[in-house]
Amino acid sequence: MSNPVDVILSLVLLSCLFSFGSSRLPGLIKVLAFQGVVVSIVPLFIDPNMTGGGILFTIITLTIRGIVIPLCIYLAIKKVAIHREVEPIVGYHASMLAGLGLIVGAMFVSRNFDVPAGNASVLLLPTAITVLVSGMFLLMARRNAIAMVLGYIMMENGIYLVGTTFSAHARHIVEFGILLDVLAGVMIMAIILQNIRRTFDDVDTALLRTLKE
Amino acid sequence: MLEFVFLAPFLAGIVAFFLPRNLGRPLLVIIGAVHLLLSVLIWVRRPVSMFPEYFAVTPEGLLSLLVISLLFFLISIYTTGYLKASNIKSENIFTGSMLLFLSTMTLVTLSDHIMVMWIAIEATTLASAPLIYTHRTSASLEATWKYVLICSVGIAMALLGSVLITVSMDVGKVDVPISFSALTAVAKSLDPMWLKAGFVFILVGYGTKMGLAPMHTWLPDAHSEAPSPASALLSGVLLNCAYLGIFKTNNIMVAAGLGDFSGAILMVFGLISILAAATFILKQTEYKRMLAYSSIENMGIIAFGTGVGGLAAYGAILCLIHHSLIKSSLFLTSGNILLGYGSRLIKGTGNLVNRMPRTFVAFFAGFAGISGFPPFGIFIGELFIIVGTFRAGHYVSVGIFILSLCVIFAGFANQVLKISFDDTDATIQLPESAVMVWPQYTLLLTSLVLCFWVPNTLYQTIIHAVNAIGGGF
Repeated sequence: MSNPVDVILSLVLLSCLFSFGSSRLPGLIKVLAFQGVVVSIVPLFIDPNMTGGGILFTIITLTIRGIVIPLCIYLAIKKVAIHREVEPIVGYHASMLAGLGLIVGAMFVSRNFDVPAGNASVLLLPTAITVLVSGMFLLMARRNAIAMVLGYIMMENGIYLVGTTFSAHARHIVEFGILLDVLAGVMIMAIILQNIRRTFDDVDTALLRTLKE
Repeated sequence: MLEFVFLAPFLAGIVAFFLPRNLGRPLLVIIGAVHLLLSVLIWVRRPVSMFPEYFAVTPEGLLSLLVISLLFFLISIYTTGYLKASNIKSENIFTGSMLLFLSTMTLVTLSDHIMVMWIAIEATTLASAPLIYTHRTSASLEATWKYVLICSVGIAMALLGSVLITVSMDVGKVDVPISFSALTAVAKSLDPMWLKAGFVFILVGYGTKMGLAPMHTWLPDAHSEAPSPASALLSGVLLNCAYLGIFKTNNIMVAAGLGDFSGAILMVFGLISILAAATFILKQTEYKRMLAYSSIENMGIIAFGTGVGGLAAYGAILCLIHHSLIKSSLFLTSGNILLGYGSRLIKGTGNLVNRMPRTFVAFFAGFAGISGFPPFGIFIGELFIIVGTFRAGHYVSVGIFILSLCVIFAGFANQVLKISFDDTDATIQLPESAVMVWPQYTLLLTSLVLCFWVPNTLYQTIIHAVNAIGGGF
């Protein structure tokens, strides 16, 4: 386990567990920012002969995933002026336990996959699966709208892990386009959050139940 | 030149945000006309892109492009009347978003690169979100929130699917550009396991956007809360754009010899969507939601036909074109009804035949068209799908299919008859101006004409599009 990639990836796994245990939104955002930074630097350690363009792109990714997106959400909740609970549907301890189970499950599942040759790290696929499913879990197990957006961002982090590390085909311009889409999506969600707060005086999604069959 | 067709509306959309309020309306019509002209030129000349790795003119893309262009032009004419009659506060945001929406949808039809396709489809979500929130009510806010969150999460699945397809290239040791056309050509050497996984994720992802059940929950809310011109665009062409992503991935699957796998999944999702629509349409109390469920039904029919392949795939493309024409006209007409009666509820309307006779003609003809009455194209499309399914020997599926269509027709007819002929004491607040009925008439007439006379170039393009999945006669 002396491989630096494995060390970094275990930090990502830890951040997932932390996010399951955080009860307050600012804490959850900090965990997400940390995860964004760590996920963005993974390619630096995986690709031995990275070009200048690659390094530049990594820095841009790090700025957007680690700083701009969390800041965007942070400012949104600051305007909304609440430092409050994430309103869990599944409790924190149960979430943590589910997270541990998830990591074990991901390890077990990913042994069965035929991963392309030349991948340095054994932890890569399990981590990617864990981050992805953790994001979905946050989406489903928290009623607070902001926590749901954070879950979406975590899912995107997971997909990014699968993407950058598994294939060398995508050009940076295309990856940049994807990043820009995610950024714009989060910004629009932040705007909607502010409007939800203004209209309903809360960001509990239980209030958004008028349209249904 | 190819790039200009999505750059023009993009730039115009940016400009529209800063224009004074009433200049946006003529700008919409002008850009609509320019876009239509460019699309026809592209159809005739079939130019090659400056970035052939990312963009290409494909037959299925051309069909969608022309439909988008025609619809947008007619809808933009209607919009001038609609904006005059309704009270929308931030009109320049509305027109700007409409133009950006047009630009992103055009990008979808022209993109050949898997990731560019994803970027474009996600961009359509972002560009259309402000359209749904136009009325600034708490219900429209809820609809926008659901739309953005469910579609973004869904489309994230499609991104994962696209990544998995590139993994299947790595495992299969294939090195080609990640474009649909290149991958279809080398499909046999892609790793089948990762390719299957990629297809499932892409189907779930783009299926969310297309409104396939059980991922359809955002659709009735978004379509009913958006202003009618936006609903017409959402239902008429946005769903087609998402379908295009699924169609192209299905082409890769068929070329890789996995057509049975992908076809079966498409058929199952299609049937679930039709059944879901049949369940919910029966007890609808709002007419725009009823139309939205009818869109889910038609998307189900199209997915089902594509899954069956052969003659049914040809039928599915016919349904796709005619659904766009007829459904967008119905949504525009529902805008007239909403402005006229001031109520979203079916109960709040009635006696449309006497109160708004010109709107009634468009509404009733649209209803006949969408539920598959003979003079309109959906009838032929559905007939081909049914015959194709019989030929392929899926007797149980075709039984469910026909039964659901009957139920939907009964439910739909019940509500439409209430709106058209029931007594009401409502007063009409809208004069039926020409710009607010003629776009619908034109759309319905186009569908009618295409039913009796298909230009050879259109026929060839459709056949060319479905050839890859064994379509045609």
